[in-house]
Order: sequence, then C-alpha cells, then structure tokens
Amino acid sequence: MEELQQTVSQQDQLRETTQQTQAGETTQQTQAGETTQQTQAGETTQQTQANTPDAQPSHDNQAAEPLIRIENLRKSFGDLEVLKDINFEVMPGEVVSIIGASGSGKSTLLRCINLLEVPDSGHVWFHGSDLAGERTNVNELRESIGMVFQSFNLFNNKNVLDNCTLAPVTLKKCSKAEAEERGRRHLTAVGLADFIDAPATSLSGGQKQRVAIARALCMEPEIMLFDEPTSALDPEIVGEVLNVMRDLAAEGMTMVVVTHEMEFARSVSDRVVFMDAGVIAEQGSPEDIFGNPREPRTREFLARYLGE
Amino acid sequence: MLGRIASFFKDDHRYVFLGTSAFALVGLWLAMQPRTPSSFLAQSYALEVVLYYLLVAWLVLSAVALVNKLIKWRDYGTSSPFVRESLRRMVRIASYVMWAIVCVFIVDRLGMGLVDLVRTSTQASSNPTDFLSSTVYMLSKSSSIFATGIITTIELATFGTIIAFFLALLMVFLRIQEIDRSDNDFIRFLKTVGSGFAKLYSTVIRGTPMMIQGMIIYFAGFGVLRGTGMSVSEIGAIWSTFVAGLVTISLNSTAYMMEVLRGGIEAVDSGQTEAARSLGLSQWQAMMKVVFPQGVKNAVPALSNELVINIKDSSVLSVIGVFDLMFATTTVAGIYFKQSEIYVVAAVCYLILTMTATWLLNKLSRRLTGAAPRTLPSSN
Ligand SMILES: Nc1ncnc2c1ncn2[C@@H]1O[C@H](COP(=O)(O)OP(=O)(O)O)[C@@H](O)[C@H]1O
Ligand SMILES: [Mg+2]
Repeated sequence: MEELQQTVSQQDQLRETTQQTQAGETTQQTQAGETTQQTQAGETTQQTQANTPDAQPSHDNQAAEPLIRIENLRKSFGDLEVLKDINFEVMPGEVVSIIGASGSGKSTLLRCINLLEVPDSGHVWFHGSDLAGERTNVNELRESIGMVFQSFNLFNNKNVLDNCTLAPVTLKKCSKAEAEERGRRHLTAVGLADFIDAPATSLSGGQKQRVAIARALCMEPEIMLFDEPTSALDPEIVGEVLNVMRDLAAEGMTMVVVTHEMEFARSVSDRVVFMDAGVIAEQGSPEDIFGNPREPRTREFLARYLGE
Repeated sequence: MLGRIASFFKDDHRYVFLGTSAFALVGLWLAMQPRTPSSFLAQSYALEVVLYYLLVAWLVLSAVALVNKLIKWRDYGTSSPFVRESLRRMVRIASYVMWAIVCVFIVDRLGMGLVDLVRTSTQASSNPTDFLSSTVYMLSKSSSIFATGIITTIELATFGTIIAFFLALLMVFLRIQEIDRSDNDFIRFLKTVGSGFAKLYSTVIRGTPMMIQGMIIYFAGFGVLRGTGMSVSEIGAIWSTFVAGLVTISLNSTAYMMEVLRGGIEAVDSGQTEAARSLGLSQWQAMMKVVFPQGVKNAVPALSNELVINIKDSSVLSVIGVFDLMFATTTVAGIYFKQSEIYVVAAVCYLILTMTATWLLNKLSRRLTGAAPRTLPSSN
C-alpha cells in the first residue's frame, strides 16, 4: 500500500519533471537504490533522486532542479550564532522533516527560507532568484512560499473566509469571487466549511491551524513551510492538523516541516533532517534516521524523544 | 433597577434601628429649623407635630431595643421579643414610615427653602451677601454668558478631539514607518523624514504648555494675515480666537493621540505582520490591512479619554480670548467682583461635562470594543 503511494507520488514528480525538462530529453531517476522505469508520452524517462543517507543531493548528475537551494547560510542574533554554514536543498514534491532540540535553529532556518529572518550571509535560491539578495523582490517570491506558524497567527480582525481571501485579493492574484471560491474549496478540504463566517478569534486551536493552512493554500504556493504546527495544540487535537498535512503531502505538495511529531516525520517525510546547535548534523531517509542513525547526537536526541 | 429596589424593601436589614434612628435625628433637626415662606407644612401645624412625635417615638423604641439588647446580650437571639418574626416585620414597616417622614421634612425645609432662595435672589436688586444667594443671583443674571461659554467648550473639545483623531491617524502612520529591505532609496528617505518629523512633533507638542502653543498659533496666524495686508476686522472674520483655539487644541491633542495609537499598534502581536508578510503582502499592505485596524481598535478606550482631557484643558485657551467656559467664568467674576462663588460654579460645570462625556464614551466604547475605558483620565 505504501509502496503504491510512493509510486504514485513518483509519478507526480515525474510529471512535473517532464514538464520542466524539454520534450525529448531523457531524465534519470533512482530512488533509494530501486530504479523505476517509466514510459510516458512515448518517452523513456529515468529519474535520479539522490536522497540516499550519506549523499547530499548533488545537482550535477541530476536533471531535476531543486525547488529551494540554500548555500552557506549563516545567521547570528548578537553574539549567538544560530545557523552555521547551512547547505540544504528541497526537491519539488519532496516532504522534508526537520527535527532537533529546541534552540538548535530549526525555526530560524525555516524563516530564512522566506526571509522572515534576513540571513547574515549565504544564498537562498528559489526559481533562479536569490531571496537573500539585496535587490530581490522578496514579496513576489513569498507568494509562492506558504508558511504555517506554531501560534497560527490568523488575522484577528477578520473572519475565517476573509483570512483566506485577504492575500489573493490584495495582491490581485484573482477576482474577489474567485478568491472566495478558492477559500471555500480549501476550507472545505480542511473540514471547516461550517465556519466560513466565524470570527477568527472564536475558533479552537486545531481549527485555527487548519484555517492557517487553508489560508496559505489559497495563494497556491509551490512549497509549504510548517514551523511546529502542532506544538501549541492539545494532544487530542494534534491529529486533525496532522491529517490535513498528510493529505497535502499525498497530493504532492512540497513541504518542509519542523516538527516534534516523530511518528509523522517517520511516516510522511521523504527525508528527515536532524539539526543540532546550528548545523545539519545528519540527514537521510526516515528509515535510516530513525532506524539506524549514524551520529551519536542523533541517537541521543532520538533516545530522549522516543524513550518518553 | 426596579428589581433592586424591590429586593431592598423585601430584605431584612440588620441595622434597621441604628440607621433609621440616625436618619430620624436628621429629620428632627430639620423640623426644628425655621419654616420658609413657601413651606407647605406651615399650613398644617398639627400634621407637623404628629410627624415630629412619630420620629421621637421611633427614637424611644430604638432606645428600648438597645437596652433590651444590652441586658440580654448572651441569649438575645433566642429570648428577645425583637427577634420574633412578626415584630421584626412591623419594625421594618415602621422604619419605612420614618424614612418617608424624614423625606417630607427634607422637601419642606431644604427643597422649599431652595425654591425660596432662588426666588428671592433672582428678584434681588443687588448682589446678596451670603454664598448661595449670591451664586444664584449671579448665575441668573449671567446665564447667557455661561451658556455661551459651555457651548464653546463643548465645541472646542468635541471638534478638537475629532480633528485630532484623524490627524493622529496620519501622524502615527508616519511615526511607525520602518525601513523594509525591499524599499528603494527614495522610499527610505521619505520614511526616515516622515518618522523623524512625527517624532519631533510629538516631542515639541508634549513638551510645551498648551497655553503657550495657543499664544504662538494665534499671534503667528494673526501676523501672517496682517502681512498679506488685511485689516484687523477682516482678519477677525477668518482668524477668530475660536478658530485659533480649535487649531491649537487639535494640534495639541494630535500629539497625545498619536502616542496612544502607537501604543495600540505596538501591542499588536508581531505574528500578525509575519503571517501577512509570509503570504506576500508588502509591509505597507500588511500595515493597512492587518496591523492598523487592530491597533486602532486596541487604542479606542484610551483614545476616548482624550475628549475628557480636552474638555478640561481647553480652559487654558481663554488666555487668547476664546469665549469658553473658563473665559465666561472670568468675565462674570470680573463683573461682580466675586471670585470663589463663580469658580465653584465653573468647577461644577466642568465636572458635569466630564462626567457626561465619560458616561457617553463608556457606552460608545463598550459598543465598539466590548471593553470599558479607565474612568478617571489624568490631565495632559
Ligand atoms: N529574534 C531573535 N532574537 C534573538 N535570539 C533569537 C531570535 N530568534 C531566535 N533566537 C535564538 O536563536 C536560537 C535558535 O532559535 P530557533 O531557531 O527558534 O530554534 P528552534 O526553532 O530550533 O527551537 C535560540 O537560542 C533562540 O533563543
Ligand atoms: Mg522553533
């Protein structure tokens, strides 16, 4: 069953890849040692996805461009060096989980991706533009990068539907009618069709977070960033938010998720990144990170987390 | 309200004897005061005597109850006749009668006395010597002066506050501008200048007395118009003391309201901005659509205090000759050469105005935000 889903999502990836590469080109894909041969529209395509445990995705033998490429990222708050020379990539359609102790710089890394934190040095490449560049139009690029916060941050002066339509309408992405249609569609998908006219402040935490996800989706982003989306929720309603995220992952959305939900990280992600003291200490497939971590500090962290 | 009154009459009161006796003593004292010409009890002397002795009877009953209590200190609750249900009810009803009697005396002596005082002092040919009569005399003779003053004060405070609110919205907008990464050099320059101007404005206005601001504005405006070759009467038509006063109070209040608004805006959680920015909104859009509306709403209760402050502080504008309540008071005091009476009147007028404003604003602000403002605003 899981294998089937993987194959389906590979096909999704493949479709995107094919769209990106010129017609008639041949692409290679290898996933975790297993090679899938695929024939599509009369072409033979092979896709290489180098997310094997030790190999950083190196893009010279890779046809698919990473959606996000972070190079030599550094960030300090005063004397505190929070990110120490981070290199990190996210492929289209990939679901990456970032785990690590609190204070290790996970949020800062995530917030550097859409430049809510301005890096001290380094590059954040997205569609050929460097978000960290001096002259880059960050606002425009952010439209394609959705973000979900730990504290929901719904607009308190708006109702649920207006939360969803504010950005598309203000940024003239579509007409008001279409924005409302989009809002209704996404709110229905997260199970909140009945709350469309409710004031944002009247919702429970789990509902707020689902609205926040719908709000981000209304901008039709190419990638979604989640910063501990369930950490502020009561344990019994964590599931309703995680289910929405699972569905999103199954639809092929590219996602970077900072989380302490290890079960979610293990079952949903394509790759798990372990951060420690401002560096990426280890990354690899969920099986490897959770089943066979190589770094002692990863082992120590997981022992502390899973032991509980 | 009605329910509260009803329960007052139904409830059993612990201090029936003590409280009613104290009040009955007041009644007795009033009964011994001389009757005024329009006293209605003067026509029925017998009734007054009956009422008087009813009060005395109550005092005697209370004394008996007190002695009874002192004697039966230990087992009062079980053995005293005064704790019996039937007697308790009768005593309570009797106490209501006593209160009614005392009220009759209050109306007869104090109420009718005041009516007489007003009648005689308004018809007096010269200013009477005692405090109350003199006050009433002067009030009646110069009521139109006071009316003009009160209306001008209300106008100054209300229009001044409203104008200042909109100016403050503009100023706080300049004040909170911050340089964003995506701003070009021109925008950066504008933001720096705008924010600096607002900061300077706030510092200067809040750091100098409004009285002096009024002087400067009035005479500077006068001087400028004089420079254009207008005659004094022409200037008076457009740059009246009222207009100058209104400009002063508006500009002054703007600075304070701007700070209140800034507080409200800074109290908006930074997550609101971050969420808006993460969706691609510019700093300006996030400000306009998300932060500003919430910040203004936060500030509404504190903002409404500005009206109350302006009612009081507009009094300093009388130095440039604005015909407000303070100016009216000074004028009347000058006519009769009686200061303390007239200034007490002015104080009472200001108190009524500010209490009315507070009450109205409480209602308004509760409707707007569901929260009540602080009730006693301090002066600027
Ligand atoms: N705006 C800030 N100013 C100062 N220090 C900060 C700021 N944001 C984060 N930090 C510090 O940076 C470190 C990493 O924070 P963060 O990225 O939030 O960690 P994590 O999300 O992994 O818990 C922490 O020590 C935190 O205190
Ligand atoms: Mg964090």
